[in-house]
Amino acid sequence: MFHALVGIKQVPDTTSIRIDPETNNLIREGVPTILNPYDAHAVAAAVEWKRKLGGKVTIITMGPPAAVSALRECVEMGADRGILVSDRRFSGADTLATSYVLAEAIRHIHSLEPIQMIFFGKQAIDGDTAQVGPGVAVRLDLPLVTYAVNIREVNMQDGFALVERRTESRNEVVKAGFPLLLTCEKDIAQIPYASLPDLVKSLRYEPEMWTADTPVTYDAAQIGLKGSPTMVFKTGTPEKHSGGEVIKSAEVGVETAVKMALDKILSIESLASVLGAQK
Amino acid sequence: MSDDKIRFDVIVIGAGMAGSTAAALVARSGLKVAVIERGQNPGGKNYFGGTVYTHALREIYPDFMERKPPLERPVTETGFWFLSPDGMVKATVQGGKLKNDPIDAYVAQRAKFDAWWASQAVKEGAFIIPKTLVVDFIREDGKVVGVHTDRAQGEIYAPVVIICEGVNNLLTQKLGLIDHDIKPSAAALGIKQLISLPAETINARLGLPDKNHGMAISVIGDVTMGLPGLGFLYTGGDSLSLGVGVTLQALRESGVKPYELLQRYLNHPCIAPIIAGGRLMEYGAHLIPEGGWREMPKLYTDGALVAGDAAAMVNALHWEGTNMAIIAGKEAAETAIEAHKQGDFLARSLSSYSARLKKRFIMQDLHQYRNLSHFLETHPDFMKIYPDFVNDALGMFFTGFGKPKKQLYRDILRSLTDRRPLLKAVGDIVAFGRTIIGI
Amino acid sequence: MTRRFWVFIEQEDGKAHPVAWELLGVARRLAGEVKDELTKSGDTAVVEGILVGQDVEALAQEAIRYGADRVYLVDAPPFKHYLNKPYTSALTTLVKKYSPEVFLVGASTLGRDLAGSVATSLRTGLTADCTQLDMGVARDSVKKLLLATRPAFGGNVIATIICKNHQPQMATVRPRVFNAPQPDPNAKGEVLREEIEITPEMVNAQIVEFITNADSSVKLEYADVIVSGGRGLGGPKGFELIKELADELGGVVGSSRGCVDAGWIKYDHQIGQTGKTVRPKLYIAAGISGAIQHKVGMQDSDFILAINRDPHAPIFDIATLGIVGDLYEVIPALIKQVRAMKETRK
Repeated sequence: MFHALVGIKQVPDTTSIRIDPETNNLIREGVPTILNPYDAHAVAAAVEWKRKLGGKVTIITMGPPAAVSALRECVEMGADRGILVSDRRFSGADTLATSYVLAEAIRHIHSLEPIQMIFFGKQAIDGDTAQVGPGVAVRLDLPLVTYAVNIREVNMQDGFALVERRTESRNEVVKAGFPLLLTCEKDIAQIPYASLPDLVKSLRYEPEMWTADTPVTYDAAQIGLKGSPTMVFKTGTPEKHSGGEVIKSAEVGVETAVKMALDKILSIESLASVLGAQK
Repeated sequence: MSDDKIRFDVIVIGAGMAGSTAAALVARSGLKVAVIERGQNPGGKNYFGGTVYTHALREIYPDFMERKPPLERPVTETGFWFLSPDGMVKATVQGGKLKNDPIDAYVAQRAKFDAWWASQAVKEGAFIIPKTLVVDFIREDGKVVGVHTDRAQGEIYAPVVIICEGVNNLLTQKLGLIDHDIKPSAAALGIKQLISLPAETINARLGLPDKNHGMAISVIGDVTMGLPGLGFLYTGGDSLSLGVGVTLQALRESGVKPYELLQRYLNHPCIAPIIAGGRLMEYGAHLIPEGGWREMPKLYTDGALVAGDAAAMVNALHWEGTNMAIIAGKEAAETAIEAHKQGDFLARSLSSYSARLKKRFIMQDLHQYRNLSHFLETHPDFMKIYPDFVNDALGMFFTGFGKPKKQLYRDILRSLTDRRPLLKAVGDIVAFGRTIIGI
Repeated sequence: MTRRFWVFIEQEDGKAHPVAWELLGVARRLAGEVKDELTKSGDTAVVEGILVGQDVEALAQEAIRYGADRVYLVDAPPFKHYLNKPYTSALTTLVKKYSPEVFLVGASTLGRDLAGSVATSLRTGLTADCTQLDMGVARDSVKKLLLATRPAFGGNVIATIICKNHQPQMATVRPRVFNAPQPDPNAKGEVLREEIEITPEMVNAQIVEFITNADSSVKLEYADVIVSGGRGLGGPKGFELIKELADELGGVVGSSRGCVDAGWIKYDHQIGQTGKTVRPKLYIAAGISGAIQHKVGMQDSDFILAINRDPHAPIFDIATLGIVGDLYEVIPALIKQVRAMKETRK
């Protein structure tokens, strides 16, 4: 039976984060938390294949108690089971400690119900490291396919999948045996508009809560702050730029505005030569 | 369940003031009720000035204060401000009859309040289904037996549906309870800014002793540039909500843009200093049904009831809409509960809803004010002439030092007759009086 | 003791990715920044490149010209095309053998695929998408540490990360964040061949098909001129105008995320936090509001010309020059004037 597992993260909606212009600090209040967009597409892909082949989709996340709402969103999309691995002792985890926690949890799940494909979103929009997926793959010694844009085939009989991935220069179709791990681009599947039964199911769904002790016993030295080789030394806000000259085309007319802009650009040697060099 | 269908005893459409009330009371009686809300969460699609009225909250939850409702300031001063282009006459009440316990009205913000109101319904046992739109009804022999939502496998069955869909009452129209879409003359566009200011600044500028004192003001006159409508000002804890509401018809015919109206109000020489230095936190708008009695749909049919804005239950002059919605939601719930007891969901059984509402202030007031909309349409300058005159008259009265008072009074009279012939002015006042009394 | 500053020399089909040269320049600077410690301890610092592939020796020489003192070369058939496990194994083996202090990898799709795997294998720390790298003392470290600075929270916060107790300190850097040093044709260095055993069991995936994209010639990251469109274009047709201007200027078409999400243009053109980082000589942003997620991808362009109808658009905060106006009027005028200018120059 097809069993897919998707690793998700609940993240602040960084597109709606603002800096307080007076204090220069992040305004954290009122920033909604969302299911990481790339993870949502990963879940959609897993569910799509579950529906084609028959089987189940398990969702796992390491996060604070509030992350249950992200798990419910996954059930709304068609996932069957949601697990929240949450414990105070996990806090302060960098990507190495996070991949440890997730890998051990996945190992446990796999031992009870074999998994064929593990999905992650390509990166989380708060950390943007794209490291956890590869980290889990290495710990579980799985074939890794990153930047997956399309799953061509899932062959349960012969135990492999064909996944198309995108690099800067070209796309590649990779064949890998089960179990394999892929990190997903948005193209991999569209987010479905849930059916009413799925939505109702998600509203009533209570995810399973796992801790640092049960059902998996974690090594204290590898979790949380202790298990994180990297730490934040200092933070700041990006330089506030004050911008250059602004020409209002409504005031001087479009032609004049453009001429002024061109003149300024061409007055700079390096630019003039770049533009002049074109035929 | 013997079949795969999703079934409830009652379906409520919309988790706003009417919907969450109906759902709470139906759930409280032990029946299974689902509320279908199109927004991400209850309150997400609602917006107002505005105030909620404690008489209504108390009627549903006698201990509502202990449930820690998200309220802004209590209204301890209220009344009218008459704006002329460069001046203002304030006529407000404080103390005296306003000092009830609990206070009659509190300023609130819909996103927070509706969410809390819905959470109370959930506490009673209601099941809220968000992010889902009801697109049609399921009917059997003409009776409503459920709803179609916009999701796959999206049918929900219930022998009675309470429609609390809000001002854009498309489903009410679909059922044939009203034969036309909302008229531009019967809908006002309310547009407002929520401006953040420290509580102390608000207190100082408006003469309020502390955060436990607040104002709800109806602003009349220049604020709507003579168009039929009102402006408003509400004090939040550390924010001010200022806005204007004018009918769509008036906006269309005059060509005035809603944001121009709002900007003019905020720039008014007497208003600007009140909000100076404030930070814009929210900018929003919402339609308000103002057709009143004349535009009310039929309130029930086989298997369905309508309550709240969807049934045009708003008294614009008194800013009463949320309390009407709550009371109507309650009466609809009681009607549905009774229908279940009798096992009869036909119109004749549900007609008791109408009878219940007639006993409450809702229908009585809507009936009484039924001509207000029409009055403003047929007296297009009413909102311009009289507020301006009041400003001039009082302005002259209070600056007539050293002037012979007989001449002063003649000047005041002339400032009226310059605007409107005396007989016509008297006629206006009488007509307005009759409109308000309802004869 | 030798303090090794390593750079992964990325190559594909026998061609090096220019980010490798950029990172060699960075590694050289970092090595210089610990000079005071070297004087005290008597240690030496070296910049070394790690090159993996098949028949790629020529690139090792190129790396030396760009500043590598030494290149470790893994050259064998299993490494002809990038596959995660063989490359991870190769790098991990070499790191364990030579214990570098710092290991830099370009944040290309290959680099990001590889670096995370290598860091996890080595149980060491990795900081991604760094925009600044320095050696400095932090949290009373005995030696200077790699101070890896990067944007977080979609670019709203700049964080400096350190990896105090683990080696190598790894970092990925996006192409074009740093400039490549000038190559020295007379540079001398050593090329050391390393044997890495790859058994068939270790090859857990295979590439069965290559699909060249029509847009694979979109070399956004190294273009000198980029003309970018945003949601202000109003629809996919707007990109025809953008392309016309780009062609006129000999540049490349870029896009904000919004247009890619809306399906108006392919992801290859996306610039920003979840797209590419660029620093062209001239960046023209048309109909782009300038949200921080886009800014982080282009704010280091030499000259930014912003065209937007909204005078309050944040893009004007970083634009060298801004025009408030309708791009559907401004761009045709710009195209016309550029054409006229080229006519007169003939």
